[in-house]
Amino acid sequence: MGLKVELAQIRPKLGDVKLNLEKHLEIIKSSTADCVIFPELSLTGYVLRDLVYETYKESEKAVERLAEENKCIIVGLIKEIRPGILRNSAAIIIDHKVDYIYKFYLPTYGLFEERRYFQAGDPKKDLKVFEYKGIKFGVVICEDAWHYEPIQALVLMGADTIFIPSASPMRRLSAKLWIQDSWEALLKAHSLINGIWTAFVNNVGSQEEEFFWGGSMIVSPSGEIVSRAKLFEEDNIIAEINLDEVRKNRFFSSFRDVNKDFYDVLRNL
Amino acid sequence: MMPEYVRQKLTLDFAEVTRYLTKRIKEYIEESGKDGGIMGLSGGIDSSVTAMLLSRATKYFHILLMPSSSTPKKDLEDAMKIIKLINAEDKYTLINIDNITQEFSDAVKTTDKIIIGNIKARIRMILLYAFAQKMNYLVVGTGDKSEIMLGYFTKYGDGGVDILPIGDLYKTQVRMLGKYLGVPEDIVSKPPSPALWEGQTAEGEIGLDYETIDSILYLKFEEMRDVEEISEMTKTDIAKVQKIIRMVKTSQHKRLPPEIFRLSGRAVNSDWRYPRQWG
Repeated sequence: MGLKVELAQIRPKLGDVKLNLEKHLEIIKSSTADCVIFPELSLTGYVLRDLVYETYKESEKAVERLAEENKCIIVGLIKEIRPGILRNSAAIIIDHKVDYIYKFYLPTYGLFEERRYFQAGDPKKDLKVFEYKGIKFGVVICEDAWHYEPIQALVLMGADTIFIPSASPMRRLSAKLWIQDSWEALLKAHSLINGIWTAFVNNVGSQEEEFFWGGSMIVSPSGEIVSRAKLFEEDNIIAEINLDEVRKNRFFSSFRDVNKDFYDVLRNL
Repeated sequence: MMPEYVRQKLTLDFAEVTRYLTKRIKEYIEESGKDGGIMGLSGGIDSSVTAMLLSRATKYFHILLMPSSSTPKKDLEDAMKIIKLINAEDKYTLINIDNITQEFSDAVKTTDKIIIGNIKARIRMILLYAFAQKMNYLVVGTGDKSEIMLGYFTKYGDGGVDILPIGDLYKTQVRMLGKYLGVPEDIVSKPPSPALWEGQTAEGEIGLDYETIDSILYLKFEEMRDVEEISEMTKTDIAKVQKIIRMVKTSQHKRLPPEIFRLSGRAVNSDWRYPRQWG
């Protein structure tokens, strides 16, 4: 028996927390999955610019409302961790209990300007492994999957599945969608190296000039894309995550060997 | 009403402000490789103040007076007072835009006063740019911060300019600056109006006086106070405070360049951002 997860690839309305909350509730109430996962900043939308200051409180309240539901739910919000300090966050709601994780790497290049608004999470305090129905999982937000350490740390702490709520805008469109290829490669690499399930949940649709491409997907520990959501439109996909696939990878890989001397070298570089 | 607290915050050292804005206009003209500046003068407070600043920044300026049938006679007289005040008797052109407006309105087959009002604002923009090109001048805009925030301007009409020297001063502050610069008292205290149709006044259309509007804008968007507190401080109905905030929000498209639908690795304005002074 595994964990049935639903990736809710939604198009949040920018800055309209009330409407977005309704959409979340609708999906949660009709879902047959154990766990429903929404994209990055799913309650507020991503390209907020200074609307950040006008939406964070409402998004925190919306999480309280969602905590009334009987499920495992992962949603994106902006959390004020102390007066005036905001973080790009995900709430992990399990049996009405709420915990939070924060984005560690805040993209501030190209079209991204997260450091204008947010403070990064602190790996020493904010790496957390959760457990639901026998599956241990971690959550990292979007950019954190473009680095080794956040996922690696969570896996070494015990996570066998990593959920990645994201806001990935379409860019470099040529014959193939470059950003989609990149994400597939990243997820496969994380899955193969760590023997884990990875689930990428993207926003979809336009926000200001940007357009989120959707394409949410679940990759097995063998590096196979087992389920894929539509490109460019709202969609929900369900897949079952089990530990047998994890074992299949790890029995026949060198995941068990971690040579920590490398970390000493890295630390002293 | 404007709370004393807000009045104090908005009362600047206008001698310093004048020096600063004059210097900025002068430098911008130089750095853009233009020979001077051109602007439209209506006889209202904004364009009167802008004209005084422009005339201090450079002797190479030109003024267009572009009245229509909906322009009050007093406005034109006031404009002439400013022309005299800044010694611009040989630096202005008077163009009545009624005929051009009629041609446009006929082509569009409309008698709607708002559509025709916007046509007038855009005709003035076209005239300003044509003169600017002929003279190698910049188009100097006259919009103030209150109008810009409220979206109380015509997109590509009076909004279509190269620079907005008083665009970070609320209407109330422009009046204070006008007093400092010696703009005649009756121009300073005249009710602001785009005069796009007869009898139009800004305060009548918006439903609040500018002292209150500016207080709401300042308290909401600079001090980020909530609506109840602003209503209390300005002694204004919550509904009216909300109306002002709504005007700001729904007019955001007027303050931004047109949206470009992203496809490539670097899209203009999204992740392709360069300063105006580029090469």
